[in-house]
Amino acid sequence: MMPSARRAYDAGLVAAFVASALLFLVPQFFFIRQSLLPNLSPGIVGDTISLDNYRAIVTDPFYWGVFGRTIALSAVSVAAGLALAFPTAYLLARIGSRVVRWLIVLLLISSFVSVVVKVLGLTLLLGTDGPVVRALRALSFGLWDVRLLHNDASVAIGLVQYTLPLLVMILFGVIQNVPPSLEEAAVVHGASDFRAFRRVLLPLLWPGTLAAALIAFNMNMGAFTSAVLLGGGKVLTVPIMIQRKIILETDYPNAAALALLLTLAVVVMNLAALKMRPAAVAATRAG
Amino acid sequence: MSSVTLERLRKRYRDVDVVKDLDLDILEGELVVLLGPSGCGKTTTLRMIAGLVQPTSGHVRIGGERVDHLPARARNIGMVFQDYALFPNMPVRENIAFGLEERRAPRERVRSRVAEMLALTRLQEFADRYPAELSGGQQQRVALARALAYEPRVLLMDEPLGALDQRLREDMQREVARIQRSLGITTVFVTHDQQEAMALADRIVVMNAGRIEQVGRPEQLYADPQSLFIADFVGRTNRLPGQVRELANGVATVALRSGRSIRARAAGIVRVGDAVVCTIRPEKVRLAPNDNAGDNVMPVTMRRRSFMGSSVDLAVEDSTGAEMLVKVAEASAHVPAVGDAIAVTFRPEDCLCFPAPAA
Repeated sequence: MMPSARRAYDAGLVAAFVASALLFLVPQFFFIRQSLLPNLSPGIVGDTISLDNYRAIVTDPFYWGVFGRTIALSAVSVAAGLALAFPTAYLLARIGSRVVRWLIVLLLISSFVSVVVKVLGLTLLLGTDGPVVRALRALSFGLWDVRLLHNDASVAIGLVQYTLPLLVMILFGVIQNVPPSLEEAAVVHGASDFRAFRRVLLPLLWPGTLAAALIAFNMNMGAFTSAVLLGGGKVLTVPIMIQRKIILETDYPNAAALALLLTLAVVVMNLAALKMRPAAVAATRAG
Repeated sequence: MSSVTLERLRKRYRDVDVVKDLDLDILEGELVVLLGPSGCGKTTTLRMIAGLVQPTSGHVRIGGERVDHLPARARNIGMVFQDYALFPNMPVRENIAFGLEERRAPRERVRSRVAEMLALTRLQEFADRYPAELSGGQQQRVALARALAYEPRVLLMDEPLGALDQRLREDMQREVARIQRSLGITTVFVTHDQQEAMALADRIVVMNAGRIEQVGRPEQLYADPQSLFIADFVGRTNRLPGQVRELANGVATVALRSGRSIRARAAGIVRVGDAVVCTIRPEKVRLAPNDNAGDNVMPVTMRRRSFMGSSVDLAVEDSTGAEMLVKVAEASAHVPAVGDAIAVTFRPEDCLCFPAPAA
């Protein structure tokens, strides 16, 4: 390339970088600033900077409850999601068949379907007259008044459904990277299946599994659509609270403060989780 | 140490018998090599001994005791895998200790056995390295040490040297032989490399399409192959297709495609008129003075020569364009120039006559 063309090319790269940075940073700035301003009356924002919005949230037990519920629902859903995704991904990774590739592609395509559509399917499935509820009622001879819509359980089910394809895809990749001969070697050299899992497979899969779990957890913490549709307004999570502040109360500063606290909570929990090392993994270096 | 016996061992995948009713006795302390082309069932056989593959029918006995129903971990077998399968999350020391720890050996015994194994495989200075920090040959030795640490009854090795370069491969062959002899452990070694098989084996089991073609000492297989497949697969050989004209006292007179007749030892069941393939080892072919008379003299044209160090390989071509390889000791004075018309000859008893494979 000619020197001048080279310079124009470099300038183009820098311009794109600056534009991206601005697109990311400028809204954040206004968003953070908003969270520090007083809400005078619905829609009217003052201009004195203070931490009052944060103080109001942090000192209100109601918000502690909302945060607690959000974290609990997210964590339980991650645990349930992993419990389903791990064996599934293991099976897919170890079958070693051509069909598996297509199954993964299908999974990927399905993840492009809007959450609204998927949740609609779940609503029909879990509704009072849906097959699941009817089956459970029949099995308990009508003694158990099963409700699977508009409660914590339905939200958790929705979150699992929301993150499951991603968990399976990530874990599939992680498990595929561990050659089956390692498990065979463990077993031939005298380990039980469980010991082979604990001493060989788990330490090797741990970093990838932790990453998958954190991604799913973060998705759950920010999940709005499935929570609002399956919770039916009865299950209050932080994203739903934010939406209410904005739409129902027109209280932008408070919504911004809530959003920032949610982000902060997620960041802190991620950093803490990255330090986690179960005993079996402790002696292990990433391969 | 224990003997290994395979009784009518069969493995069927879908509709294909990968291993077909295999019978084999491996003696205590013996190093047996399963040799064959890829897909011949040798690895499947090894994995059935290990307990990683369940036989469709037949039995595996170790030390006379049936082990078919024992899981792999209960068979007390050591195994070296093709890709080594070292645990990447453990240093060398822990890899070697793995089998002992899984057997709940006392701490002191684990320590002393690991030290012995490190010494045996000359890995002392690498004890605290991770597998990723070792060369291929070193990883190979760790895999061997790990497989031997808990004094298994049998050692299985699945193409363990396949990933190494030629030089290292030969070093490791010596190393494996040395260690195997010093421990006297019954060993089953799988390879598709006939040179490796010859270098290592007490006995070679040549497999083809799920069956045993021939079992024997390396010299036996080389000198007295019982089928064209063996003659072809074990060592290098020249193939001369033709038709039997006469048969007397086990010596066949065979008309070759070039129109020449040669005399060869009938090694398989052949009759007059049969299509046959005669085989002759390159080192059994000699250059003949260029008179066209005499037994088994073939006029040929010199095509290529390759210097092999201790010998010279000559590629010669007959009138039909069929190529033959001739190996002459380097010292054997005069080597013809490329393009020369020469003649080659061989003794009838060195030339084996087999029925031609069905086309």
